[in-house]
Amino acid sequence: MASFDFSIPKESRERAWWIWVGVLGLFLAIGLFGAIRVFVKGLHVTGLSDQVPWGLWITQDLSSIATGAGAFTFSAIVYLFRIKKYQPIARAAVFVGFLGYTSAMLALAIDIGRPDRFWHPLVYWNVHSVLWEVTWCVILYSMVLVLEFLPIMFEGKFFDRWPQVRKYGALIHKASPVFAAIGLVLSLLHQSSLGATYGVLSGRAIWYKPSLPVMFILSAIAGGISMTLLLTILVGKLNRRKIISRELQNDISRLAGFALLAYLYLKLWDWAATSYYSQSPGATEAIALLQSTTPYTQTFWWLEIILGGVIPAIILLSPILRKNDRYTLLALGSIIMGVTVNRWNVTLSGLVAPPHWSPGVLGRILSAPYLPTWNEIIVSLGIIAYALLAFSFGVKYLPIFPKDEEAVH
Amino acid sequence: MTSKTPSEGEKPKKKNPLVSRKEFLQIAGATGAAAVATQLITSGPLSSDAIQGIGEQTHPESEGVAKHAWCMAIDLSKCIGCQYCVWACQATNDVPDNDMRWNVGFPERTESGTDFFMTRPCLHCEEAPCVKVCPVGATWIRKDGIVTMDYKRCIGCRYCEVACPYDVRRFNWEISLKENPYHPTWGTAEVERRSRGVVEKCTFCSHRIDRGLTQGLTPGIDREATPACVNICPVNARVFGDHNDPDSPLSIFIKNNETFRLREDFGTEPKVHYVRPEKEEI
Repeated sequence: MASFDFSIPKESRERAWWIWVGVLGLFLAIGLFGAIRVFVKGLHVTGLSDQVPWGLWITQDLSSIATGAGAFTFSAIVYLFRIKKYQPIARAAVFVGFLGYTSAMLALAIDIGRPDRFWHPLVYWNVHSVLWEVTWCVILYSMVLVLEFLPIMFEGKFFDRWPQVRKYGALIHKASPVFAAIGLVLSLLHQSSLGATYGVLSGRAIWYKPSLPVMFILSAIAGGISMTLLLTILVGKLNRRKIISRELQNDISRLAGFALLAYLYLKLWDWAATSYYSQSPGATEAIALLQSTTPYTQTFWWLEIILGGVIPAIILLSPILRKNDRYTLLALGSIIMGVTVNRWNVTLSGLVAPPHWSPGVLGRILSAPYLPTWNEIIVSLGIIAYALLAFSFGVKYLPIFPKDEEAVH
Repeated sequence: MTSKTPSEGEKPKKKNPLVSRKEFLQIAGATGAAAVATQLITSGPLSSDAIQGIGEQTHPESEGVAKHAWCMAIDLSKCIGCQYCVWACQATNDVPDNDMRWNVGFPERTESGTDFFMTRPCLHCEEAPCVKVCPVGATWIRKDGIVTMDYKRCIGCRYCEVACPYDVRRFNWEISLKENPYHPTWGTAEVERRSRGVVEKCTFCSHRIDRGLTQGLTPGIDREATPACVNICPVNARVFGDHNDPDSPLSIFIKNNETFRLREDFGTEPKVHYVRPEKEEI
């Protein structure tokens, strides 16, 4: 903190900080109320139904896990592949990942019908279930994130009184390459499996394809890098200091751009192979139903592909455009938006346009509507508030970002 | 109970706030740990039930008898759309809420314009997508082919609902205290009502089958051992029986009728066979 160069008077900065914390606290409190209401009244206070049993909260799970993927990406780059120039952003990536995964767990805890049985997947195994594998990987990976995060926490001022603890922290930190390797394996597994959650469902033609797991991991890498860099640049701007060098910012921007390009390439072929050059009765039927009842086509092309893909890819891969911080921030934000919209579209597309199983024709026009209720929305906002609040306090009190001197060389 | 003795101990030390706080934290920590440990051992992951279940995918309490293969046939050309099967199911399996029907029925029309009434219980697929996806193995295929559930194991993630292409599964969105409007006209509750937060589904009235077999009855022939929806049908549009037994009413029905199954292209291998509604016109 002391190293921050505050050009705004300290007093008004202090005030802005408390307003920020207050607003987030308020959202957190409202979200908590929403969560309690769900626990008391049951999940019928949501807009979900037996036809659309997954909605906003699952989208939030998937998005926060995807945008938390920067943690495994940068841990692998820095500690495994030893590309040291990315070191200054590694801690932020781990912290953002930790917040993403805890956000996902919070959303899940409210979303499942029996949160008191959260431990069942650990004890009752169904090795044939993708979700079982995802649960194990996410739990194990969250432990890895905690272990990666502990040394950072122990460096905080609070632990001045326990130098012994700090020593253990340093010891844990020495094992970083091991955590990076484990984290890489676990993340490659569950980030892809989250796509497979939908991709393996043979009865749902719109989902049933092997490209979904790969698209999920690629978009997660792009989204994870973007979230980490976006927050890093924002913190730098708000504190009016340079956290990472211009050169490093360029490199990371380009990295996000290339990840995005890989994702777009696969997405292009996924679309071309399944919807343009060929058609499968089930998927075509479902897409036609979606087009007639939802803005699916618009959100897919405009939000996922154009705004969330092509435009940010151009900005981040253009040496001239990415020099402009505003453009860069816009591009990174668009990627995160695009990934989030993608998770929503993937989840809802298969549910809103259910497969038709009756031998008759009357039921063919049926689609299942879904709109999140205010209760779902306040819980989601509360979880976002939690993540932002924890991030703000972390940045304020923990050595998440390097001091200026370290970053410059 | 565990907290009482330690919390009394903190009182006399209150004069010295610093020590008291430290001690309080220790006591609170110990109490919390004890409570968590108790929970873990009694009903949590360290309970004997849970330890027994580690890695286990079998459910000895409800496995069915392997030599049988229970199947159903529904003759859509016979069905008159009275909905008795729907109501009898709701009464027998205690499903008071019409939104949660296990056995659904609705008016339909074929491509050629023949009006008919479509009904559908759970199809008890041989390659059941719901069984594959359950992260805790709370649903499984019994040895006799019935897809059943352990309501005590279900965590309510609803992935099975997402996976099932036939819209068979129902989630308990809220606690159900409603009086069952189908009692006693259409039957009485033979199974316990499910709790809030778990998924439920049609069982082919497996409780009747299991009990009937121990009494030497034949499901599909003896009414006490036959699903409620089959018994109640006034026109015998539903047939039930053992597909492994060539003399069962089901095997005979399937041999004598041209049947199909719903969306065979899904590869789910359903165990409910249908007869087309236009049969008699052709």
